[in-house]
Amino acid sequence: MSEHFLLLPVFIPALVGLIVLLIPDRITKLKEILAIIVTIVNSVICWKLLQNSGEISFIAPWANFGLDFAFRLYNFNAFIIFAISCFFLLIAVYSFTFMVNKNCLNQFFAYFLFTLAMANGAVLSDNLAVMLFFWEGLLLTLFGMIIIGRREAFRTAIKAMIVSGVGDICLMLGIGLTYLQSNTLTISKISLPVDGLSGLAFLFLFLGAISKAGAMPFHSWIPDAAVDSPLPFMALLPGALEKLLGIYFLTRISLDMFKIETGSWASMLMMTVGAITIIFAVMMALIQKDYKRLLSYHAISQVGYMVLGIGTGIKVGIVGGLFHMLNNAIYKCCLFLTGGAVEHQTGTTDLKKLGGLISTMPITGGCFIIAACSISGVPPFNGFFSKELVYDGALKAGVVFYLAALIGSFFTSASFLKLGHAVFFGAKTEHTRETKEAPLPILIPIVVLSLACIVFGLFNHLAIDPIQNFIVSEKGELEKLSGWPHDFSLVVISLLFFAGAIANHFYGVRKTGMALKAADHIHHAPVLCEIYDQAERRFFDPYDIGIVVINVLSEALWVIDRGIDWVYEVFTVEITSVFSLSIRNLHRGNFSTYLLWSLIGGTFILMFLMKSI
Amino acid sequence: MLSLLLLLPLASVIFLNLPIGKWVRGTALYFALILPIVQISLLLFGNIAPGAIAPFYEKTVKLGLLFDDTSALMLLIIGILVFCSVIVGNFLAESEYSKFKFMNLVILTLLAMNGTVLTSDLFSLYIFIEITAIASFILIAMNKDLFGFEGAFKYVVISTIATLLMLSGIAIVLMVTGESSFSAAKAALQSLDSCHVIKLAIVLFLVGLFLKSGMVPFHGWVPDAYVAAPPAVAILLAGCATKIGGLYSLLRVFDSVFTINFQIQSVLLAVGLISAIIGALGALAQNDMKRLLAYSSISQMGYILLGIGVGTPLGKAGALFHFFNHSILKGLLFTNSSAVENQTKTRDLEKLKGLGSRMPITAVTSVIGSLSTAGIPPLSGFWSKLIILIALWKAGFYTLVLFAALISLLTLSYFLSMQRQLFFGKDSVVWKDVKEADFSLVFPALLLASITVGVGVLFPYIVGSIILPFKGSIL
Repeated sequence: MSEHFLLLPVFIPALVGLIVLLIPDRITKLKEILAIIVTIVNSVICWKLLQNSGEISFIAPWANFGLDFAFRLYNFNAFIIFAISCFFLLIAVYSFTFMVNKNCLNQFFAYFLFTLAMANGAVLSDNLAVMLFFWEGLLLTLFGMIIIGRREAFRTAIKAMIVSGVGDICLMLGIGLTYLQSNTLTISKISLPVDGLSGLAFLFLFLGAISKAGAMPFHSWIPDAAVDSPLPFMALLPGALEKLLGIYFLTRISLDMFKIETGSWASMLMMTVGAITIIFAVMMALIQKDYKRLLSYHAISQVGYMVLGIGTGIKVGIVGGLFHMLNNAIYKCCLFLTGGAVEHQTGTTDLKKLGGLISTMPITGGCFIIAACSISGVPPFNGFFSKELVYDGALKAGVVFYLAALIGSFFTSASFLKLGHAVFFGAKTEHTRETKEAPLPILIPIVVLSLACIVFGLFNHLAIDPIQNFIVSEKGELEKLSGWPHDFSLVVISLLFFAGAIANHFYGVRKTGMALKAADHIHHAPVLCEIYDQAERRFFDPYDIGIVVINVLSEALWVIDRGIDWVYEVFTVEITSVFSLSIRNLHRGNFSTYLLWSLIGGTFILMFLMKSI
Repeated sequence: MLSLLLLLPLASVIFLNLPIGKWVRGTALYFALILPIVQISLLLFGNIAPGAIAPFYEKTVKLGLLFDDTSALMLLIIGILVFCSVIVGNFLAESEYSKFKFMNLVILTLLAMNGTVLTSDLFSLYIFIEITAIASFILIAMNKDLFGFEGAFKYVVISTIATLLMLSGIAIVLMVTGESSFSAAKAALQSLDSCHVIKLAIVLFLVGLFLKSGMVPFHGWVPDAYVAAPPAVAILLAGCATKIGGLYSLLRVFDSVFTINFQIQSVLLAVGLISAIIGALGALAQNDMKRLLAYSSISQMGYILLGIGVGTPLGKAGALFHFFNHSILKGLLFTNSSAVENQTKTRDLEKLKGLGSRMPITAVTSVIGSLSTAGIPPLSGFWSKLIILIALWKAGFYTLVLFAALISLLTLSYFLSMQRQLFFGKDSVVWKDVKEADFSLVFPALLLASITVGVGVLFPYIVGSIILPFKGSIL
């Protein structure tokens, strides 16, 4: 296979994206069809690349200090770009119906294809600077996709841009430090310890990676975007693509570029970030009253499991984290898409207005149940197996992290029981009485994804075996991890927690009488109540805190600026005009004065030059 | 061949004043147009080697001539500005007779300026400066009005004092060394130990030449003379006549006869800096367009003096380059001012308003000229100022660099306020019938503006080959 083949997944979508941008709104369906064709072609190319055994490299030298346009394909990133291509294909199909009658479709599909090109480029590139280029390209399309069609989305888009931009600055700093330490930008040649400056480099790269994945503290734009942006965007970017990219890069830095040992500070840091993300995000998810917003908090929370798993530095944990990355992308994408189907059919995602949809939207409801079971870790769906692997690793790395993961799982189950109960069961409302099942292009991706949940659960060796292969070279030979979990006691404990979640849910429903308020006894618990209040008021949002700090700073700078302005605009002008007016007044055309000046000047020169006598 | 630059104007002046009939006067314009063109083409395409010139009359008349890059540049400036001045003067002349008088005197000025630039002898230098000055008096007073007489009178008095001082200086040099040609005098002076009388001669030369070039505090006559002069004469005076007599002679005398020591350097730099500051501050408060330009001229000459005062080859090159730019730009701006004055019959900046849309070419060329003078890249004024600043910096005069850069800001501010007042802002009802000036007033402006833009943009190519042919390698 020619190495130029590697360029196709980047250039085809980018070029077609440019063409789509030129198609006027009058021509309907052409953009959608073009997007589907490109994603199919891209999937075929990626499938071919996946079939390829061994490595392919493409290098075009750019600058002599190590900045080469380098692509490198090997089994891990071939797997990632294939997964990405599948998600893009499904979302393209979904958007075929979903995006009808929306504004700025050409922009949406152009950004969609640019995102595909940039994502492929970022995954394939073997040079940190080139990767940064594609990474920043994703930031632009992210901004574009949030903002299109809606003026109100502007604030959210800015927020997403700034939050992700801070992460990207960290990434940039990390890349600079890495170059300083290793004198190369080629990813496959970097091998650094995590101490001193290299440790700092790792820290920055880590922050860059998790900001893409959406872990805390880089999460706060996601729930806002869930409300403001088009749903296919949510299902695609925060749901699937960003997790794949962020966790892919996290894996690269923590396995290839840096050597993370179990118990080192880097490992502890990663696990702590993971555990905090799991707990706090899921606690927020529990009390949400909007379908998409609730899902978006879970999109944050699930990242915690992946970071935790990879952070353990133990083979089981890493495999679990990566498998969870894939599973999460599948079921989270599926859940967002069911949310979109509900929104498309009923016109709302407000849980208060929804109910009893299972009878009118049975396929959507069924798929939702599969995906919800999967995310809650119910056997035999895929989420169960990956979570068990992560638990296994977390328990070996520290019992605290295991407990955090279990508690997170408990609340995940509780919140999905609440969501499913409120949307698909219970009494019908005026919004849901007349609904019909969603159209076919919307159902196809949902069904495919929920089938994938089952397939990757029952036949989990399909995914686990290749993932084990990726890290085998790094971590030595592994025992076989696919199949049913080996540690039976862990399974029992997690099932007990799941049963607890069910009990908790029905306790809540009985107490309040409404599925929507099933979590209220947790929401209004003595201490939690205060914390929730503050959180709802965005007291803990790093973005808002940053904005407050910056506002104070800018007030202070404004005062200083006025002072400087005064010096320029008033002080200098006054002084100058005093001088120039007095000079003007001296030149009254009186010739004897002029002669006097000349005489004085001449005398001075004479005295000065003669003084050395 | 270069002696032609003296002989042709001389022959023309003699021919024009022969008592053979009135038709001769009609040909004056053609002489006045062709002579500068011949001069420019000879310099650009003549391929003349630097060095002493041995004319054919060497045996009979003792007049040593010297041609080097400084004189080449000056001859180029003289050619361009005389050409522009003749075009403007031809258009603005009130009668055939006054046109003839003007052309006659301009050719005489051309002859005198060429002589000043080419001579290699102190006494000849004095004679040619005097010829330039006398022709200038008559040119200033040509309109025979009160303003003209006042300006001319002030110029006469100051100029006479200045040339008297110079003459005394020359007398001292002659007395001490017995030589009057540059090279012989320099050799003789170097062999002498520091002699008090020579120091006196230096002071006389310095004061005399400062008076002639109008540096602060010897500048009182400059605004009056420029304002009093008719437009075409103002172009010639501000563009080259006073500069050739003053600054060029200063550069020549202190380059070829005396050596610049630390004390002289201090005087030059101090006077240069004061002129630059006072000129700029003075320009800031002016309401009369020509008066503003006159103060600006003083300020820019301060820059040139700073360049001369540094004493390094780079400083001298910068000074020469700025000399060239300054002449072109002052010629351009005075052409613009005469166009505005001719169309509106006033120069009062408080009355004029929003002429930009009525006089587009004048406005554009004037903005180019102002920006170039203020040193905005990529116009030519930027490069020459930059070279002077670099020369100052390299010689260690950091404070002066700071001041010079700040004065640039002042330059920009007074030019911008002038431009805003003249060409931008609201269309005034009073000036709604104003039209673009005649071709004769627009063409010189276009020519000079394209020179400053061209030299600025093509700076690296032109400076080495045309502006400073024998010294361009320094830059």
